[in-house]
Amino acid sequence: MTRLRRLTAFGVINALLLIMLCIVTLAPFLNVLAKSLSSEQAILMGKVTVLPVDPNFRSYAYVLKSKDFFRAFAVQTIVTASGTALGMTLTLMMAYPLSRTRLTGKNVVLVMVVITMIFNAGIIPNYMLIRRLGLLNSLMALIVPLCFNGFNMFIVRSYMQTIPLSVIESAMIDGAHHAQVLCKIVIPFSIPVIATISLFFAVTYWNDYFNAMLYITNYRLKPLQLYLREIIYLALDPQGSVGTQQTSESFMFVSPISVRAATIIASTLPILLVYPFLQRYYIKGIMIGSVKQ
Amino acid sequence: MNTRRMMADIRKDMALHILLFPPVVFMIVFRFLPLTWIVMAFQDYNIFRGLAGSPWVGLHHFRKLFSSEEFLLVFRNTLIINIYRIVFLFPAPIIVALLLNEIRTLLFKRVVQTIIYIPHFLSWVVIAAIFIQILSVDGGLVNQMLMALGIRPVPFLMDKRFFRGILVFTAGWKDVGWNTIIYLAAITGIDPNLYEAAMVEGAGRFRKMWHITLPGIATTVIVLLLLRMGQILTSNVDQVLMLYNPLVYEVGDVLGTYVYRMGLGKMEYSFGTAVGLFNSVIGFVLLLGANALTRKLGDRSIW
Repeated sequence: MTRLRRLTAFGVINALLLIMLCIVTLAPFLNVLAKSLSSEQAILMGKVTVLPVDPNFRSYAYVLKSKDFFRAFAVQTIVTASGTALGMTLTLMMAYPLSRTRLTGKNVVLVMVVITMIFNAGIIPNYMLIRRLGLLNSLMALIVPLCFNGFNMFIVRSYMQTIPLSVIESAMIDGAHHAQVLCKIVIPFSIPVIATISLFFAVTYWNDYFNAMLYITNYRLKPLQLYLREIIYLALDPQGSVGTQQTSESFMFVSPISVRAATIIASTLPILLVYPFLQRYYIKGIMIGSVKQ
Repeated sequence: MNTRRMMADIRKDMALHILLFPPVVFMIVFRFLPLTWIVMAFQDYNIFRGLAGSPWVGLHHFRKLFSSEEFLLVFRNTLIINIYRIVFLFPAPIIVALLLNEIRTLLFKRVVQTIIYIPHFLSWVVIAAIFIQILSVDGGLVNQMLMALGIRPVPFLMDKRFFRGILVFTAGWKDVGWNTIIYLAAITGIDPNLYEAAMVEGAGRFRKMWHITLPGIATTVIVLLLLRMGQILTSNVDQVLMLYNPLVYEVGDVLGTYVYRMGLGKMEYSFGTAVGLFNSVIGFVLLLGANALTRKLGDRSIW
């Protein structure tokens, strides 16, 4: 049984405003997407707005033939996967002990974590450390700076604190060690928050370019975001730097703008594909995080 | 503290302490150890001589800082850009949340939310790339529309008059949608009985919003506002670095980008560290102030 809704002026304006918001959000995307599928002449003549003109996949073919693109993509993926795994592990290792009601030294460690959340030594001191550890131009330099996150740890800890104490206590009375409690009770219980925080980590790693900019000069280790920056900011040719030969033919048909657009879209695709999952878990995580004990 | 008792407790929970050990070591090495390099700010740091071998210069860099025109410019830019952001981008998510709250059709609401959350997940490299495209002189969407109206194309990103606006707009494009989440959550925390009572009293939509919704989220708004103001000297380096260029340094160069360019780029490590330290300390003081103020409001506090 549906009630008929009155069409009020406010209701209409409200909806229109929100629709406009959506348009402003989507338009830049659609424009870049359209450009990636259009011909160079159409772009330069200003014919492309949100729909492709002279649609073709040449730009994508050009980008996908680029070894540098795939190498950068692979690097970013490896860093994201390892970083998320390492970060999640460290987070769990820290959250569980700190979620217990009584532990010697617990408060000391908690205060230390809070301090790391407020103070950052700064770009230069961090650079000095990485340099001293000999991690310049290594993937570890990209993984390490982001894998310890106090906020994430607190979220997981809050979640773990909602496990009824009786469950853990009865397990320990039955002779379970801490390790067993962790693996057989706490972790299975925490799967939702693990999923969420893993996504937090993954998105952070996938989108990071600053660490790469600071620590990586070896072109073979350049991750995708840095690669993308070079294509856009410096208008470099995706196939240009190393390896793949360009035939004079491919040069004739392919446009810088259209190719740049295609590179942008290709770099964004992973996030957009994972987005539906992200939305659900990410928002849940925010909710958990913003509820104070 | 009874030592024997403490040792017994530690032994009992040994597994937990072992679990805690690697992350704590990690934290010490990668978060606390770098703090020791902060002394560079008080030295004339020589990278070959290291911390021990570099001469001490005390507050020399800080004095240089406060008398440097460049620094004052950068400081001013950081402050102004943050003020613009607070003025425009703080109310926006609240308004959008209120609008969304009034939507009755669930499908429409969900679709809108899905769309406006997307930009939050993109990196600044991608967002800058998109907007560089949009704002470019040949083939950029905005200039295309201008030309259709008979106006000559404008190189927006290289124009000092528009750069700060672009920074604010792109920051909004990325996060206004996302920031509605916390306000929507706050709104759902309001007692629905209040709305029922208001409806019985014959209150219209605006009345309800004014007397129920807004006061209901007032605490959240104020806490967030205070926290945001505590960040009034943050630099959003990721964004600016991708969008700026020498032509707009005068209006767009912020503390973070200045440290990056001067400190690392020009290898003035000591000076860069001094600027960074100054930034961190002020940020910390502001945060304490903001927290103290929110605590005065009663229940909420960041800790």
